[in-house]
Amino acid sequence: MSQRPAILVLKNLTKSFGKFNAVDGVDLDIADGEFFTIVGPSGSGKTTMIRMLAGMEPATSGDIILRGERINDVPANRRPTCMVFQSLALFPHRTVGENIEFPLKIRGVPPAARKEKALALLRQLRLPESYYGKSVLKCSGGERQRVALARALAFDPEILFFDEPLSAIDYKLRKTLEKELKDIHRETGKTFIYITHSLEEAMVMSDRIGVMRAGKLVQVGTPNEIYSAPRDKFVSEFMGDVNVIPVSLAGGKLISASFDRSFTPPGLPDGFASGHLVIRPEYMRFLDSPDDAENSLSGRLYNEYALGSRIQYQIRAGDHVFIVEKLRQQAPALDLDQSVLIGWDAKDSVLVRD
Amino acid sequence: MEGMSRSGRHALIWAWTIAVLVFLYIPGLCIFLASLTASRYFQFPIQRWGLDWWRKTFDSIEVHQLFKTSISIALAVMVIAVVIAFFGALAFARYNWKGRSIYQKLVLLPIFFPQSVLGLALLLWFNAIGLELSWKTAVFAHLVWIIPVVTLVISIQVYSFDPALEEAAFDLGATRWQVLREVTLPVLLPGIVSGSLFAFLLSWGNFPLSLFTTGADTTIPEYLYAKMVAGYTPGVPVLGTVSTLGAALLLLGGYWLIAMRRRQKNSREGS
Repeated sequence: MSQRPAILVLKNLTKSFGKFNAVDGVDLDIADGEFFTIVGPSGSGKTTMIRMLAGMEPATSGDIILRGERINDVPANRRPTCMVFQSLALFPHRTVGENIEFPLKIRGVPPAARKEKALALLRQLRLPESYYGKSVLKCSGGERQRVALARALAFDPEILFFDEPLSAIDYKLRKTLEKELKDIHRETGKTFIYITHSLEEAMVMSDRIGVMRAGKLVQVGTPNEIYSAPRDKFVSEFMGDVNVIPVSLAGGKLISASFDRSFTPPGLPDGFASGHLVIRPEYMRFLDSPDDAENSLSGRLYNEYALGSRIQYQIRAGDHVFIVEKLRQQAPALDLDQSVLIGWDAKDSVLVRD
Repeated sequence: MEGMSRSGRHALIWAWTIAVLVFLYIPGLCIFLASLTASRYFQFPIQRWGLDWWRKTFDSIEVHQLFKTSISIALAVMVIAVVIAFFGALAFARYNWKGRSIYQKLVLLPIFFPQSVLGLALLLWFNAIGLELSWKTAVFAHLVWIIPVVTLVISIQVYSFDPALEEAAFDLGATRWQVLREVTLPVLLPGIVSGSLFAFLLSWGNFPLSLFTTGADTTIPEYLYAKMVAGYTPGVPVLGTVSTLGAALLLLGGYWLIAMRRRQKNSREGS
């Protein structure tokens, strides 16, 4: 990824509403052809960010540089970028074909060429050509997604922005569309910049992910880096269920006050004083004896949940509730309130600062 | 409820519905019947039936002039009111701006003024600035009362308008003008059509504002009133009937237009 030239460079990009910085000094390079996803909870500034990049919201300060050219003052209709909106914003008074052809019509492309392009896009997006004359109001949720994407592709943008277009779609269809979108990205080779509040969704599709919090990008990395080496507690918890133990360094040892004991760390970062020890639930193991893992704790089974291919166990140890996940085939049969020994090896844990 | 059978309740609902309909439409029917008399006077039951007064009314040059005046006012009001109210409705319901909530209240206030007071106030004002009263001043007077109504009617459509549609069109390369022509206007068209109908019909039937502001010109409602006060002929119910039928026809026309549009859309889907 890093060998490819940057298509979009953000320098100290800031958007203020009064004294509040919705986007706060973001620096970022996005490579040509990359699928980059910005994830963050609602209110983290991700929507404001993408609206600035698309030209729908003026930046307060900083630079947006597209292929070496500062485009802060270029309005949205003159930028070679295009957005798929959360509401999709399909024109309700027009047919599927007319929606897809809209950017071509604006550009003055003759009707025959427009239609040819629209039909090609319908094929590319696995929609029947007969949909050309169909009212968009009569399309299903998934079909509307594809029409919106086809319309954006008809514009032939250098960068495609996506503002949580899948958030209103049911789980099963969403999973299908996520994969389709990744396929389309591969086929077109265009740069995709996607925003979502779901890190899981980001993981499926992205080359790189930027995690946003309170207007700042707190971590940028590949899905694997974000998953296995979260920079802080916020990022680690954003991925869903995770075990977090507050720890501090005392006398060269990693001490947990709540358990009144020390844990073996995965290696101490320079200057570490206090933070959290993070262990993913699938790295937690049930032990026969405390010697089977570098760190162990005893607790009782509080409850268990079947999560499709996996079983999740909630284990109470002291004031903490630990989460352990096992593949269904490898899941032990446990009774409620049964005493269990759980543990993990230091290499499977991550030490993050506050 | 216990004591009444299902069919009994059903019959009661029907009876009530019909009673309401009779109550609403009998007066209109009476006007029509009153126009069918051959006699000179207003008399029920009608002694001798005839269409004489219909012929006489349609032959009258005075009546032609009345229609011309009323239609001129209503058409001018419709066009001006819709243009102003369209942009007014965008400010009312589409954009968030600092004075919006005060604007929303101020713009609707004229609807609640007693129209005769509003008419008098406008008359005084026209006199003060030295405007000669004619059908043109009546247009202005009607606008004061009708623009708020049309703004409200179009606003209802604007409220259900997704602003992202405009952003999407702009983002896809359209100029502001193209966005308006290709997206905003067509999507809001049903609201604009019903706003136009409201504007025309409210002006067409308006009496109190016209009374004060038409000067030497006379509209149909003014004429009807004047004739009722002095010089009644069965030409009055004739004109009343025609005026009502005209309004009904316009409404049906509007309905037909919307139905045609819908059918056109459906047939396009079939292709």
